[in-house]
Amino acid sequence: MFESLAIVAFAALIHASFQLSVSMLTLLSGHAIGAKTAHTKLLRLTCSFLTGAGIMTLLLISFTSFMFQHSFGQTVPAIMWAVGCGLLIGLGIAVWAFYYRREKGTSLWLPRGIARYLSDRTKATKLSAEAFGLGLSSVIGELVFILAPMVISALVLIQLPPVWQLAGVGIYTLISLLSLLIVYAMVGSGHKLSRIQKWREDNKRFLQFAAGSGLIILGFYVYVDQVLAATAFAAGGF
Amino acid sequence: MALAIDIVKRGGRRPSERFNRDKLHASIRAACLSVRSPEGEAEVIAEKTCDALIIWLETKPEVTSADLRRKATETLESFHPEAAYLYKHHRLVM
Repeated sequence: MFESLAIVAFAALIHASFQLSVSMLTLLSGHAIGAKTAHTKLLRLTCSFLTGAGIMTLLLISFTSFMFQHSFGQTVPAIMWAVGCGLLIGLGIAVWAFYYRREKGTSLWLPRGIARYLSDRTKATKLSAEAFGLGLSSVIGELVFILAPMVISALVLIQLPPVWQLAGVGIYTLISLLSLLIVYAMVGSGHKLSRIQKWREDNKRFLQFAAGSGLIILGFYVYVDQVLAATAFAAGGF
Repeated sequence: MALAIDIVKRGGRRPSERFNRDKLHASIRAACLSVRSPEGEAEVIAEKTCDALIIWLETKPEVTSADLRRKATETLESFHPEAAYLYKHHRLVM
């Protein structure tokens, strides 16, 4: 049980290292502060964004788990584990190769048209409801990369008793929001955005390496634990 | 002050527009405020940067918006390096 929750927590940590939501929150805060928005309104906007991202993560992990449970019950076929591990390793290599663009700043892999649209929408956000919607869409925007940790977490979760499934969904959501919570706390406590952005730019290659490596390590671990070990046990007649 | 200078937009996809001091002033002021500068300081820095840029612009019939941003960043750098950093990178956040 604790091994399963540890896998969920590690997958959520990898999810937290993806940067689209953080970029959008940084932009949203920057424009709100630059427009002399009152501090309470700034907190309301950023809090709404955070809530939106949290709710979308919660819905996605719950939906994925529900679909898997509906399809496989509590016993996941080995082929599904193999597919999940392949996804993790493939996306890990993709993150190493092209998560950040080779230019200054923290430009992400997103097509420039979409990045410009999201950036313009973020700048135009004035209401909490808009910020909430932006939080929802920031998670959808990064779905390509968060799909793998989410699939593995969902496969792990459906094998747990119902109460622990709920706990696992909560743990995943909370940990995946850590980076956003840190930026929210820093903006709320009056830190300069330039420092936050400079730190992100200075450490982007490390974050990219850590996220890619995390995906690959998790992929190998789950493959050995769920596919190879199960096959060896079956072959040994246990 | 109204300068008759055309600003050629990024990539030339959008039509050129006439230089607008107020627009430049507002963007520099917003960059200063974003790094938590007091409002008065932001106002003064924006004024000084705009004045310096207008001197640079007076000799040119047209400039690209990228050149204008680059020159504004260079000028702002001497008044407020952190604001200049945000001003320079605002399109490269995501």
